[in-house]
Amino acid sequence: MSADAEPAPSADPEERFFVPAPAPPLPEDVPDGWQRLSSRVIWVDLAIVVISLLPAGIALAIGLDSGGGGGLWPLIGIAVFGAFGAVADAVRWLFTRYRVSSTHVELKTGVLFRVHRSIQRDRIRSVDAEAKLRHRLAALRVLEIGAGQQTAARESALKLDALSVDDAYAIRHELLDPVAVAADDPAPSIAVDGDFAAADGVDSIGAADTAGPGADGKRPAGAAETASDSPRAPTDEGTATGDEQPIAVFWRFEPRWVVFHVLSVWAYVVVLGLGWGGVALLGTFGIDVVDIVSGLVNWDAIGPLGTAAIAFVAATIGGVLALAVAFVTEYWGYELARVRGQEGTLLRTRRGLFTRREVNRAEHRIRGMQLSEPLLWRWMGATDTTVVTTGLSLWAVDQPASILPRGPLRVHRRVAGEVLDPEHAPLSAALTPHPRAALRRRLWWATLVTLAVAAILGWLVVTDVVPAVALVALIVVWPLTLAGAVVAYRALGHAIVGPYLVTRSGLNRRATVALQRDAVSTIVLRESLFQRRLGLRSVGTMTAAGRGGYDTLDLMRDDALAFATQAAPGLLDPFLVRGGE
Amino acid sequence: MLQALFFPGPVLIGAIVAYALWDSARPWLIVVLVGAALMVLVAVLVEPFWRYRVHRWETTDEAVYALTGWLVREWRVAPLSRVQTVDGIQGPVEQLLGLSTLRVTTASSRGAIEIGGLDKATADRVAEDLTRIAQITTGDAT
Repeated sequence: MSADAEPAPSADPEERFFVPAPAPPLPEDVPDGWQRLSSRVIWVDLAIVVISLLPAGIALAIGLDSGGGGGLWPLIGIAVFGAFGAVADAVRWLFTRYRVSSTHVELKTGVLFRVHRSIQRDRIRSVDAEAKLRHRLAALRVLEIGAGQQTAARESALKLDALSVDDAYAIRHELLDPVAVAADDPAPSIAVDGDFAAADGVDSIGAADTAGPGADGKRPAGAAETASDSPRAPTDEGTATGDEQPIAVFWRFEPRWVVFHVLSVWAYVVVLGLGWGGVALLGTFGIDVVDIVSGLVNWDAIGPLGTAAIAFVAATIGGVLALAVAFVTEYWGYELARVRGQEGTLLRTRRGLFTRREVNRAEHRIRGMQLSEPLLWRWMGATDTTVVTTGLSLWAVDQPASILPRGPLRVHRRVAGEVLDPEHAPLSAALTPHPRAALRRRLWWATLVTLAVAAILGWLVVTDVVPAVALVALIVVWPLTLAGAVVAYRALGHAIVGPYLVTRSGLNRRATVALQRDAVSTIVLRESLFQRRLGLRSVGTMTAAGRGGYDTLDLMRDDALAFATQAAPGLLDPFLVRGGE
Repeated sequence: MLQALFFPGPVLIGAIVAYALWDSARPWLIVVLVGAALMVLVAVLVEPFWRYRVHRWETTDEAVYALTGWLVREWRVAPLSRVQTVDGIQGPVEQLLGLSTLRVTTASSRGAIEIGGLDKATADRVAEDLTRIAQITTGDAT
């Protein structure tokens, strides 16, 4: 896929589906097979040198030496940094060779430290193409070849930086060869459970069930696409479209969702950062922003209150605009699709206006789905959706587990249902509310928190640290905590839907989790002294995927046992006779 | 089969050290001191016996089970088919008393089951049994 062929948000998938792509020669045809990276890398480096020299050049040209040259240092720094980086990159290019043989992919690089890395082709789990703006302008792609175990650390085993678009996709096509895999009976490729099993070819227990979301309902559609694909497959053999055609596209970028991204405290942080940076930068050119702004209006006439109001409004507008720009650059052209991969299907997201990011998640490792609704934005239905899966870091900055930008709950729920399991749609199921005792427990805790605050405040008043007026705060604190208790209680819910257990809880972020029951590896029943008085018990279902475990809080004692028994079929049976617990 | 846990030991030592350090501090710290002393008393006189009364464990050919806690009770069950490792751990105090802790981990980072205060021979025997059974059953639901 070249830069100009990026899917427009409204592009018809069928149309792109049948566009034949030219066949670039495979790089393997060279006798000993060692290849250089694309020579365009050098041109890009040259361009970077020129660009990084520009600001300093301009500053010199318009001749501001007013600050005794001191103001120029940051610009000179930028120029030196940019030029050095580019030269180093060019040298790296000079000393780098790669080779794709029938068994290995090899890379030699380094000037002072020669590195020779090789990776067996049957160990390759993922081949991802990434492009920063400069790569897209030069029709280059960075190819990251990953082998299983590295995916958790988000580091690739091998990185080819950078290849021409055609070469990159030819190599990716050859390494992953999705057509050959998809043409086989799809069932065995999906039923493989995890990397260890995949390596040994061992079929694991529960594999038939874990294949559930992929095999149920979705397969007919996928098979139909494969069938319609096969007649033209021979003619396409060996060509790299560079873009495995999606089996299904679930969601495409919608500009309207910007609303969900601009209302945030971050707006002010961004404004402060940008403002400070802007003032500093313009200062180096001898423009004093503070002077200009204070000369704009007669601030004394407006008064401090008016000034604050104007500053607030200006900051809000600026922050919202900045966040809107950030949203567009980050999520432009977002596409959530199911594509064929080496072992079954992949869930692929692509996004980004300048830097294109692509993340592929193996669907046979997905154990569930989580919808999470932050409290402050619940009135507008803002939701984040993440997949519950193994091998993806939850804490990485780019959030690989997240499959949609924040948006309306309705769409998130629909898409998550379609992706996970359209037949059972566990996330749309009606949840059983929890007993009133759970509400009582929360109200008690709210009151206890208030009392603790009261005790501390009272003590501080007695010791004259704060004035007695501070006790008024209690009038605010108690209703707030009580309201929080009610909200938290209303968030509680659970259900068993087909092969899934669904549980919902959370005050600050109400999280609805659908988890495959077969993925539960440990069951935990918890009962505090306080819960025992109220006859409550919490159930924890521990799993390898996602956060490692999901709790269902405060069920009646017998319901908890029943839910735990259902949540992991057969797991508790040997112990149930022994007096129940 | 069950042994009391020597959990509060470090807490007690910590409190004594804290007391010595805080002796010269301002008088309102006395509240903290009383609180700490109370907690130490409870930890020494109440918690071990309470825990000893509560704690239970059992293993079968299919699963491991443990009940722990005192104020908050926890039942944990893991099927052996999901068990990844079985470890025997001996802390310094445990070594002194000839005890051992059995830790059974599953693929989940939050799914480990710990059975504390077993005598060493039992812990070793159970660990061996579990390892043998876990090898027979395959798959860990990762």
